[in-house]
Amino acid sequence: MKDQAFVTLATNDSYVKGALVLGSSLRHYNTTRQLVALITPQVSDSMKKVLFKIYDDVKEVDVLDSGDSAHLALMQRPELGITLTKLHCWTLTQYSKCVFMDADTMVLSNIDELFQREELSAAPDPGWPDCFNSGVFVYRPSIDTYKRLLQFATEKGSFDGGDQGLLNSFFSSWATTDINKHLPFVYNLSSVSTYSYLPAFKVFGANAKVVHFLGRIKPWHFSFDPKTKSVSGMHDPAVVQPEFLKLWWETFSTRILPLLTEHGVVKDTSSGLKAEEIAEAVSQLSIEAPTISSEERKERWEQGQIDYMGEDSFENIKRRLDSFLK
Amino acid sequence: MPLARSLSVTSLTGLEDWDDELDLENSVLFEVAWEVANKVGGIYTVIQTKAKITSDEWGDNYFLIGPYFEHNVRTQVELIEAPNAAIKRTLDSMNSKGCKLYFGRWLIEGSPFVILIDIAATAWNLDHWKTEFWDSCTIGIPWYDREANDAVLFGFLTAWFLGEYAAQCEDEKPYIVAHFHEWLAGVGLCLCRIRKLPVATIFTTHATLLGRYLCAGSVDFYNNLQSFNVDKEAGDRQIYHRYCMERAAVQCTHVFTTVSQITAVEAEHLLKRKPDVVTPNGLNVKKFSAMHEFQNLHAQSKARIQEFIRGHFYGHLDFNLDKTLFFFIAGRYEFSNKGADIFLEALARLNYLLRVNQSDLTVVAFFIMPARTNNFNVETLKGQAVRKQLWDTANTVKEKFGKKLYESLLVGNLPDMNKMLDKEDFTMMKRAIFATQRHSFPPVCTHNMLDDSTDSILTTIRRIGLFNSSADRIKVIFHPEFLSSTSPLLPVDYEEFVRGCHLGVFPSYYEPWGYTPAECTVMGIPSISTNLSGFGCFMEEHIADPSSYGIYILDRRYRGLDDSCTQLTSFLYSFCQQSRRQRIIQRNRTERLSDLLDWKYLGRYYMYARHMALAKAFPDNFMYEPTEPTAAQGFRYPRPASVPPSPSLSRHSSPHHSETEEDDERYDEEEEAEKDRQNIKPPAMAVGTVPEWRKRSKKGSIDASTSSNASTPTNPSSPTDLSSPASSITEERN
Repeated sequence: MKDQAFVTLATNDSYVKGALVLGSSLRHYNTTRQLVALITPQVSDSMKKVLFKIYDDVKEVDVLDSGDSAHLALMQRPELGITLTKLHCWTLTQYSKCVFMDADTMVLSNIDELFQREELSAAPDPGWPDCFNSGVFVYRPSIDTYKRLLQFATEKGSFDGGDQGLLNSFFSSWATTDINKHLPFVYNLSSVSTYSYLPAFKVFGANAKVVHFLGRIKPWHFSFDPKTKSVSGMHDPAVVQPEFLKLWWETFSTRILPLLTEHGVVKDTSSGLKAEEIAEAVSQLSIEAPTISSEERKERWEQGQIDYMGEDSFENIKRRLDSFLK
Repeated sequence: MPLARSLSVTSLTGLEDWDDELDLENSVLFEVAWEVANKVGGIYTVIQTKAKITSDEWGDNYFLIGPYFEHNVRTQVELIEAPNAAIKRTLDSMNSKGCKLYFGRWLIEGSPFVILIDIAATAWNLDHWKTEFWDSCTIGIPWYDREANDAVLFGFLTAWFLGEYAAQCEDEKPYIVAHFHEWLAGVGLCLCRIRKLPVATIFTTHATLLGRYLCAGSVDFYNNLQSFNVDKEAGDRQIYHRYCMERAAVQCTHVFTTVSQITAVEAEHLLKRKPDVVTPNGLNVKKFSAMHEFQNLHAQSKARIQEFIRGHFYGHLDFNLDKTLFFFIAGRYEFSNKGADIFLEALARLNYLLRVNQSDLTVVAFFIMPARTNNFNVETLKGQAVRKQLWDTANTVKEKFGKKLYESLLVGNLPDMNKMLDKEDFTMMKRAIFATQRHSFPPVCTHNMLDDSTDSILTTIRRIGLFNSSADRIKVIFHPEFLSSTSPLLPVDYEEFVRGCHLGVFPSYYEPWGYTPAECTVMGIPSISTNLSGFGCFMEEHIADPSSYGIYILDRRYRGLDDSCTQLTSFLYSFCQQSRRQRIIQRNRTERLSDLLDWKYLGRYYMYARHMALAKAFPDNFMYEPTEPTAAQGFRYPRPASVPPSPSLSRHSSPHHSETEEDDERYDEEEEAEKDRQNIKPPAMAVGTVPEWRKRSKKGSIDASTSSNASTPTNPSSPTDLSSPASSITEERN
């Protein structure tokens, strides 16, 4: 099925880890569809190469590239930012139908049957079931829809500041018109639901097909010991699906990590990069290294506890800025 | 597609080549600063004074963007409808999305358009925007730093405005130049670049955040500039996030400028980018129609200061006011950054020098630096009251005296002098004289200080013992409040006061630009500044022999504190040696430098920066030839043809030099002024002749310094050693 694809989006190297696990889980359950990853310029070249190992196509999206009509929309609606990047999935017109999946999802079985659904099919959001959750949805790429979405974004904005608000306003008939466009909840099982309706989870949880790691703390924020196969901090009360989390890490350590290390070794001998850079790349990918999440780092800044001699040094900020100034 | 324009700038001197103006029809300039129509500090002065020439150049395509504060708008902005359609659409669109933007004319010279943004109206976006700022450049903002949070709001709103405006311009897209001042506006600049807005950006720092902090913390700043670990220093001082915002803006901008060479050096080491252009600050120079009007104003204002002195020193007026010089230092109360420490030390040495040489000259040194006080002290007020009483007594006696004289003349008699004043008059006068008796010295400080015992100026005065005793040739008056024309003590405003003084002394250690000496210059008052101040560097670069123009530049960069103090003492002493006539000549020369500080001239550096930004942002449409920015020398004053009035130099040329007659032959005001005017227009050969002038000026200063150094071999800290060069000067004068 060359004209249908699963599409995901990674906006930085951390999300690439999620995208790799997602892709690898889709492959594991023998999907017959194409895998496409959209990435932003913040994703490093080495990570991009690793993505190619799992995905059929990796496409860089830069809304800020002048000449793009999304750029104009963004100038007027600077708050939409990453949302407009996500809308880019509608431009993949080489495919007739796609399923978009967030990079913080993972499949637990083959879900190719989703391609029988029509645009726009999605599962309800656990927080407000009259809205769909935009973490998993079926759509038809179309430049016309894309343009209408952009125009809609420019004029009306998004009620929650993100893509979900925008898409729900745009496909506003979802809640009431066609029940076939309501995907069963098992196609987008989100973490919050397990404790808000635990008995239901106990009965239906076993049928879960897609798990969605909603919330601020993502699986890649934990650390994992491959020998004992245990995730540290897993028994934290905030962690609601320890078994899914463990599954994510097992996939990561058995299938993704070898790719990453192999890639690091290849880089070492062939391109002769500086040892320092490799050490840095490795430390970013190393699962043993205690890393704190971006959110935590931001919080520390806000409390005035800045690691200015380490991770928050201006050199790192400069590197970040330079990626925009290219 | 507009026509590609090419432009060659060989150097700013060669502005003739550059005179073909930019196509401003299709360009728009936004100038963004927190101090637009909002006075906080010095940036306000820069923007407010510069507005005139910039509006003249850009007309209706010039907009200032600042924060909205109701009290400011009520006093200095007239709100109007935006005449420009695209701007109006932009404002309407943003206002319909919950922002509050105002459009008006700023009621200052040039009356430019202003766009004022009410950041409080969109404060609910703060968290959201802080997250976006974090995601794009990993700089977080501590919640407790109100100013930094305001900077984020202001930055996001300005970037939104610029983006919206770029999108609203329909058919003919203008070239947008956005000029951001200081770190508070820097977030907007970063966002323009991150969002890839079609905007040419300029960033100007007027000082660096870290530099100010380091200097205030008494660090040996300039000697260690290269070796600071800037991240660590900023982090240790808890200004890391601000420093990051500043440095990010510097990193992102197309063109980076600072206000002076010395700040350029500072920026290069602390912000790790060498400024592309140095854009010095100017003033709007008022031209008097009458020649030498400023000399008359000096005399008038001096008379008012003298009146104050008469009252302040009642009972101790044992010095001749016609032989009294007024020196002053003014500015923010930063004891060592502003050089009050070195000034006091030099005054102590000068006092010693004048005393051992039995000089009949008196110097009153004013310190105008606001500190915490609870109003005037009684003794100072009493002084003015006593003076008033004497004046009243003299007037009463005069009235009676006049009447008797008149009556006597009416009857055709010559008055009998013995009967003119009767006993009653004498009693009244004696009583008035008795009232002026005073057992204490005239007070040093005019106010009751809150921290009297710990105040750094007062404790230093106590240490060096300058208590206004009659033997002291240096009298000190510390006025810890800004001057005001309604003060009961010294009813003059700052400008009048400066005009009435003889010399401004600003031996600052940290002074990115230095408006105070610049203001002195345009009023024709000589001043002392340092080669660590932007003003001093600028003058040194443009004048071959600054001291003959009344611009004394103290070397605080390459000398130790003690050497600098010796040099300052010698400047002060040589100033004291000048005759009245020499001082008048010197003031004429000083005043002639006004043109150099006028925005009409200095505005060109800004034009150049804007051009460079356009060329970098829109390389297909604009071109410029990169030049060495430091080679920017518009005009250069040579050494004056007649003998410079500073004795240290004149003694080389004429050992037995008597001021009065010989000077008449040497000095021709008109001829000299004409020469200076010639120099204002940059001569084509200026580049070739510059090194020679520079060499000469260097030599002059070396001569002066070696002579004083040679005589201070062993212990330069003791003022005794200074007496030797001083006595040699006196010998030559005799």
